[in-house]
Amino acid sequence: MNSYIENWQKNGNKVVGYYCTYIPEELLFAADLLPFRIRATGNKDTELGDIYMVRFTCSFVRATLDMALKGIYDFLDGFLVCNSCDHSRRMFELFDLKVFNRENFKKNVERFYLALPHVITNEGFEWYKKEIEELKEELEHKFNIKEISETKLKHSIQIYNENRRLLRQIHNLRTQANPKLTGTEVLQINMANSSIPKDIANEHLKMIIEILNERENIDITNKKRIILVGSVVDNNDFTELIENSGAFIASDVLCFGTRNFTDDVDLKIGESPLESISRRLYYRLSCPRMMDDHQRRLDFLKEEIKRAKIEGVVLQRINNCDLHGCDNMLFTHELKDLDIPVLNMDREFYQADTNRLQTRIEAFLEMI
Amino acid sequence: MLLDATSVTKELVEHILPEQGVPSLRIGLQKMESVLNYYINKAEEGLPVVGYHFSFPAEFLKCFDCVPVCIEGTSYFLATFLEGGSEKYYDMMHSYGHPFHTCTSQKGTMGMTLDDLFKFDSLISPTAPFDCTIASYPFFKFEKKFPLVLIDMPFLQKEKSLQYYADQLKAGIIKLGKIIGQEPDYNKLKEAIEIENQVLMLKLEIFEMIKSKPSPISNLYNAISAGLTMFTAGTPENLSFHQEMLKVVKKRYKNKEHHGKEEKLRSIWPYMITFFSIDLMEWLDWELGLSVLFDIFNYNFYDPINTKSDLDLMFYGMSKKSMGLPMVRQSTEFFGPFIEYCINFAKDYSADCFIYTQSIACKQFGSVPQLLREALKEEVGIPMLLIEFDAGDARMTSLKSFKEKIIMFTQTLS
Repeated sequence: MNSYIENWQKNGNKVVGYYCTYIPEELLFAADLLPFRIRATGNKDTELGDIYMVRFTCSFVRATLDMALKGIYDFLDGFLVCNSCDHSRRMFELFDLKVFNRENFKKNVERFYLALPHVITNEGFEWYKKEIEELKEELEHKFNIKEISETKLKHSIQIYNENRRLLRQIHNLRTQANPKLTGTEVLQINMANSSIPKDIANEHLKMIIEILNERENIDITNKKRIILVGSVVDNNDFTELIENSGAFIASDVLCFGTRNFTDDVDLKIGESPLESISRRLYYRLSCPRMMDDHQRRLDFLKEEIKRAKIEGVVLQRINNCDLHGCDNMLFTHELKDLDIPVLNMDREFYQADTNRLQTRIEAFLEMI
Repeated sequence: MLLDATSVTKELVEHILPEQGVPSLRIGLQKMESVLNYYINKAEEGLPVVGYHFSFPAEFLKCFDCVPVCIEGTSYFLATFLEGGSEKYYDMMHSYGHPFHTCTSQKGTMGMTLDDLFKFDSLISPTAPFDCTIASYPFFKFEKKFPLVLIDMPFLQKEKSLQYYADQLKAGIIKLGKIIGQEPDYNKLKEAIEIENQVLMLKLEIFEMIKSKPSPISNLYNAISAGLTMFTAGTPENLSFHQEMLKVVKKRYKNKEHHGKEEKLRSIWPYMITFFSIDLMEWLDWELGLSVLFDIFNYNFYDPINTKSDLDLMFYGMSKKSMGLPMVRQSTEFFGPFIEYCINFAKDYSADCFIYTQSIACKQFGSVPQLLREALKEEVGIPMLLIEFDAGDARMTSLKSFKEKIIMFTQTLS
């Protein structure tokens, strides 16, 4: 638990853990709840997680369960899960039965579930909007909040839009021809940003941007500009491995990256703030859990390749991630047809078989 | 290929097995051959070929004049009956970049389309029951350029989910009709649904008799019944298969006969059986005296669909059926109910053990085995064997390995 969370809770506020960026953070923040994105950064062990999840499941999710079973997430006051993928969606039951019901764990952690559609349609949006409205009522009821008012929602939207704007600014400082920071540094900033209150994060991000603007450009001579795409990356070891192999991660399509900050909430006249929040989340740049949206993801990737002057695409998936695995397969063929060099690789969440990965990355970079 | 696999196996069964041997296989293959012949003729007449997901009940396509092809059923049917199975096509997809950990039931047919064995006029699929569907079906649309109709199935068994899915089903069927240039014929749909309503009643009657000792079904009945339903739902052949099977089961029930020599142990397979080798089922019956009372594809949780009222109510019933289908039901709710009805099954059917086959593709079930094992031990006092495998590919866990694991497990029970 970081000191920001400690201070947040000292002031009597609650923290709600979540897995996926499809949950409405703005709504939680408006209810004075701190949305905390569950990560397994630094955990190299899945020993306890393996008891409850078979080896065909995602090692990232298993690593988070492992940490939860060790008590590392005991600071959570609430837990919100959505059906993003088959691995993380089942954490609802496992946390319910095995983490929050552990012997000697007496705290009451409120549980919430959000059911997302798998396609982007008008009916799907109506469903999703209703789910978020119901979630609002449930939050008010379970946390004894009189009302999450429109004023508070609008204020929260403002803070989150500002946060995304600042993250985009930092992102631009690395996509430019003479970048100010590495891909690993960008990832670190994004991860830290997901674990602290956004009003405080915004102040820090502004300071970081000031420092970066004054900083010397980083030296990327002899490095190949690549874009990193695919499964969740919340581990510096992996990005460092890539950047130490002769690449510069000039951009990404990741949920700790562009997917999370590309779109803003657009407060439309005649639309409630909650509807605007739902609209942004539902129609934003999707992850492959959205079944019929591959073309839009490809278009974004192609635009980002142009914008960040990308020389090669590194597609990666954590083993057993069907969603990114198949999306990456389609990308591989589509990008090859456009003569864009592509590396498609699988990995475990924790840094295993480093030599194999490094060899593949180096060979790919030599080919560009 | 499907017809060849069926006909050759049928010939073998008829010529090698004794007349009364494995009636489910004998009758099932006859029905399957009849339906395949009919559809092959229809395809030659130029009717549109529609691929469908196994969780889209085949009888729903009866409102069109089309040739329905079950994507998942095709891969596994060939894995079962064709020499070498569907492995060639799995490997083609792997070479193409498809991950090794996705579902072989889809991968096989995908590989066949790479090899241009199929050209679909359209496909229709729910967004269920697991990530492999979400991940794999876009291949048909984006790579093969086949029109794909998606029916969004919501997570959680709630009233609003049933209504949402009913609307999705109706819209999906209309959309499919537009693609293949046909208006849905709802009278034909009603007829097909009424056939399946009767099949459901027959299955429930058979299921009731499985509670008795010894089990009056052969282990193979589970696979054949599920396969037939997947391919031939809504046809008279599916109805007559279950009618004939009911007669066989009633006779065995009355005479307390077991398909093998003697029933020594009763097992429930809450997930799948092996499709790469269904002769494992015969081996269990005959060599170990282990009855497989049922697997996931054989327990049902839906009511007959009301076809006598208005269309909206019928679609609501279709929605209820779809969301209660095997594997779909368990994937659209939390584990609590799944564990609860497993416990009830164990008690109602006097099971001695559970054998849980965790398929590499089914990540949505990857977190339940240990929870189920603990619950069965605590509530019923029976053990559960967990075997990790690929239901359609023997190369992951071989038949030999399967047998050894089960032998060792049953030794601890006797």
